[in-house]
Amino acid sequence: MAKRVLVVDDAIFMRNMIKDIFASGGFEVVGEAANGLEAVEKFKELKPDLTTMDIVMPFKSGIEATREIIKADSSAVVIMCSALGQESLVMEAIEAGASDFIVKPFRAEDVLAVVKKVLGEA
Amino acid sequence: MRHVIFRVEKERYGLPLSAVREVVVPPERYTRVPRAPAAITGVMNLRGRVVTVVELRQLLHLPEGPTPLCRVVLLDRGRRDLGLLVTDVDGIEAVERVSAAPGKVTPAVRGVARLGGLGVTVLDPEGLDAAVVALFTAPK
Amino acid sequence: MTMDMSRYLGLFISEATEHLEALGRDLVALEREATAETVDSMFRHAHSVKGMASSMGFESIAMLAHRVEDLVDAVRQDRKLLDRDLVDLLLSAADTLMAQVRAVAASREPEAAAPLLEQLSARVRALTGHAPAVTRVAQVTVLKPGDAPTAGAGEPGALADAAGTPGTPGEAAGAPTADAAGTGPSGAARVGPDPADPAASAEPAPRAAPGLQGTTGVEGGGATALAVMPPASLMPPRDLSAPENLYGAPGARPRTDVPVEADASSSVAALGANLKVLANVDADGLPSAPRWSVRLRISPTCQVPGVRAFLVHKRLSTLGTLVDLRPPLEELKAGRIPDGFIQVELDTTVGEAGIQTALRNVAEVEVVSVSQAVPEPPIVAITPQTAENARASADASSRTVRVRTELLDYFLDTVGELMLATARLREVGKVMPEVSRPALEEGVYRLHTLVKDLHDKVMSARMTPLSLITDRLPRAARDLARRKEREVELVITGAEIELDRAILDELADPLLHLLRNCIDHGLEAPEERLAAKKSVRGRVLVTVRRARDRVIIDIEDDGRGMDPAKLKASALKRGLITEEAAARMADRDAFLLSCLPGVSTAKDITDISGRGVGMDAVKRVVESVGGTLEIESERGRGTCFTLRLPLTVAVVHLLLVQVGEEVFGLPIAKVVGATEADPDALSRSRETALLPHGNGLLPVHALEVLLGVPASPRPGLRPFVVMEGDAGTGKVALAVDRLLGQEEVVLKPLSRPLDLLPGLSGVTILGSGRPVFILDVPRLLTA
Repeated sequence: MAKRVLVVDDAIFMRNMIKDIFASGGFEVVGEAANGLEAVEKFKELKPDLTTMDIVMPFKSGIEATREIIKADSSAVVIMCSALGQESLVMEAIEAGASDFIVKPFRAEDVLAVVKKVLGEA
Repeated sequence: MRHVIFRVEKERYGLPLSAVREVVVPPERYTRVPRAPAAITGVMNLRGRVVTVVELRQLLHLPEGPTPLCRVVLLDRGRRDLGLLVTDVDGIEAVERVSAAPGKVTPAVRGVARLGGLGVTVLDPEGLDAAVVALFTAPK
Repeated sequence: MTMDMSRYLGLFISEATEHLEALGRDLVALEREATAETVDSMFRHAHSVKGMASSMGFESIAMLAHRVEDLVDAVRQDRKLLDRDLVDLLLSAADTLMAQVRAVAASREPEAAAPLLEQLSARVRALTGHAPAVTRVAQVTVLKPGDAPTAGAGEPGALADAAGTPGTPGEAAGAPTADAAGTGPSGAARVGPDPADPAASAEPAPRAAPGLQGTTGVEGGGATALAVMPPASLMPPRDLSAPENLYGAPGARPRTDVPVEADASSSVAALGANLKVLANVDADGLPSAPRWSVRLRISPTCQVPGVRAFLVHKRLSTLGTLVDLRPPLEELKAGRIPDGFIQVELDTTVGEAGIQTALRNVAEVEVVSVSQAVPEPPIVAITPQTAENARASADASSRTVRVRTELLDYFLDTVGELMLATARLREVGKVMPEVSRPALEEGVYRLHTLVKDLHDKVMSARMTPLSLITDRLPRAARDLARRKEREVELVITGAEIELDRAILDELADPLLHLLRNCIDHGLEAPEERLAAKKSVRGRVLVTVRRARDRVIIDIEDDGRGMDPAKLKASALKRGLITEEAAARMADRDAFLLSCLPGVSTAKDITDISGRGVGMDAVKRVVESVGGTLEIESERGRGTCFTLRLPLTVAVVHLLLVQVGEEVFGLPIAKVVGATEADPDALSRSRETALLPHGNGLLPVHALEVLLGVPASPRPGLRPFVVMEGDAGTGKVALAVDRLLGQEEVVLKPLSRPLDLLPGLSGVTILGSGRPVFILDVPRLLTA
């Protein structure tokens, strides 16, 4: 069965791009969220196998959202979507329980490589 | 680039295919546009859109001819379609190498090209649009 | 494989535009009050634009957005850094970004903006004390939308640069590849580095930043890197000879070892590990947690080795107790990892398999070696990583999608056409034989209901909040105020109220003009305001409210107000009104004189989007969408412009009249009455015929003459329509050929070039399919 993914990013552009990348890799994107608040709610509701998480978002940052998601389900797999220059934020997210990260601008194959690795499929 | 090739009398003209929305048969009657310049034939209802139709011959200051005007070439100008009334449409052809037109150049003319051994005048969609606007804004 | 980014271009343009508009708004708000929220929001906008632009490969946009992000970040750290010059600089950056996005939308290369970039970089250096970071951009070239139809020969994924530049060897980024040469006459050239392209791999990617070679675009970099990695046996011996390695013997180290990282989670993990260990205590009371030596390498293609290393550290520390880490954690976090090698000493009970498992899921890390310094411990089962949770079924939650406005317009046009077609069917039904009529009528009725329902849905989909246009006002107000050296406070309320998109589009320029009017002419200079005991800062209120089926917009200033006497005098001087009319005219009407061409617009004409817009244009536009304009003013207190607008595309009641072959619509709202008279029997004053009406005489205008359409009125009685004029013209009588009756129609605004004609306020399509113009009689008479 295809792994189920929740995509969190405040930009539709990024969400669409990430969704397409996952679709091309045989994943099923089951939900999207545009901010940290929505992300936590959607996570609890959808229980995805994997969540990609933007860091800089309105209402609640990706780090806060990750912390809450891990609190709700310690086995949750959250992958941070970061940009160069956000190293300390990503480390904070890792402390909060993020499983891995990808760096924007990313290429489809890089994203899929990280994700498959994290899910133990590589 | 592919161009729509059409005629005004015997003269051949081309417009980039991407700039043409469609080619239609003129309506039986136009609604006259009050106080409009003479080159404006009128407006027509094209599936709920009101399209201004201009006689290309007059827009380009060409002499009057005997042949009836049988087609309207619709320029795709976003929400404001502009119809060009022409003699007939020949088809779609690839036009390469457009060179500068000899003599007096108007913004409506992009240049000339050769097609099947014959000359074709390549028109500029924005230039045509501007020429129409100029008709309306020119001091009477 | 290169991702085809062209599919995201539309989204990039719309979303980047939104972010930049929001950034501009924030900047203006920021200058008023620098709140942490505003600065955060600005940071997010700049950051988003950078991320999107870099994904699209738009380097110039990404770089500019990156610098804005840097500067906003600096302000985020210290809001005292913010001054007017910085806001100006950021505003001009936002403007340039917007222009760049527009260029991309028009399939042009965005301007590089080097001087601005240099200015921004200098500012970043000045504020942060270090040089700005390099902007990383994806190596993609977006297929320009305009080129799409001509790029037929390209293979999937190939990025073609076809339009106009056949055979141009891959312009800015890379050389044409071998396969591009064979793609046919269009000469599609693949741009960007390609693994198969020797030219691209032989030299660094042109856009790759120093120090980042190999991380961008060049595929297979990872494989190359792995190939050069030394086998474990060839590792530098210094690591093994380090003094720390000397205490590797079992039990040589006290159990009370403090974890390297003192953070809670690793301590807990360590505690857990130790608890497990305690279960395996040797006879002599010492723990049997064996020590493992793990050697890893971070992939050289990893862009952020520090974070990667941190992640590794985190993973390993959950397995047991980290007793040694080299380089030390702080060095790791900073990315100072010579050749990417990391050496870890770890006390854990999970064994080699457990260590391998923990690291297997981490990308960009290679486990070079795992070796045990003690005898094999009893193997502890590894807890399965994830429990199979009962999953809620994938719920198709309601989604929002973006629709291009042209598509919405198309829907409306098509629904309009459906309504027309339905009406025509009904007409046809009327002449059908009696037997077949009921079935047809039933069908037509059903169709009519469906189409009407669809029409309602389309109309509601077209509703757009006014903020779409009012959001631009604060920036405009700021610029105007700065230019006039005035202080202005602009307060906008009710911008969330929705209007039909078509009306909104028309209103953008008029609203801007009214705002300009308030600031340029309404508000006094600061000294004047002080003298009048007003606050130095002028106030402009834009209030939007909903009243039944209308939306009312007030644009109100607290300035000097209008002088009705001056307006009357000006109109008199230009011969637009008579002395008598001026004397009788109420102030309310006198204010509207400002909307007559020439009365006040002569010095007022502002240039918005390349054409002069005066008060007359404002009034015309408002009326053309079926609205009204009112002006209230009090000397010394201020002026209020009130726009009353229909919610949706205006439905207007028309009186249809025929002149010659043509049909025209007159707005019923302005029709006073109709009468019949013999034109030849009318009295005349000079050239003008006069029609008796009430107690007076009205000037008569033959519509065919006013409009310049051919008509040959028959001798004898002729219908006359008496129309309300405006302040200048007063009532008039129009001679027509026939009165055709009333009709309720949907008004369409005039599109270019028709909007350039004076005297037309709109156009509609009748049930018969015939387009009919709606006349603006006062304008016909004056223009």
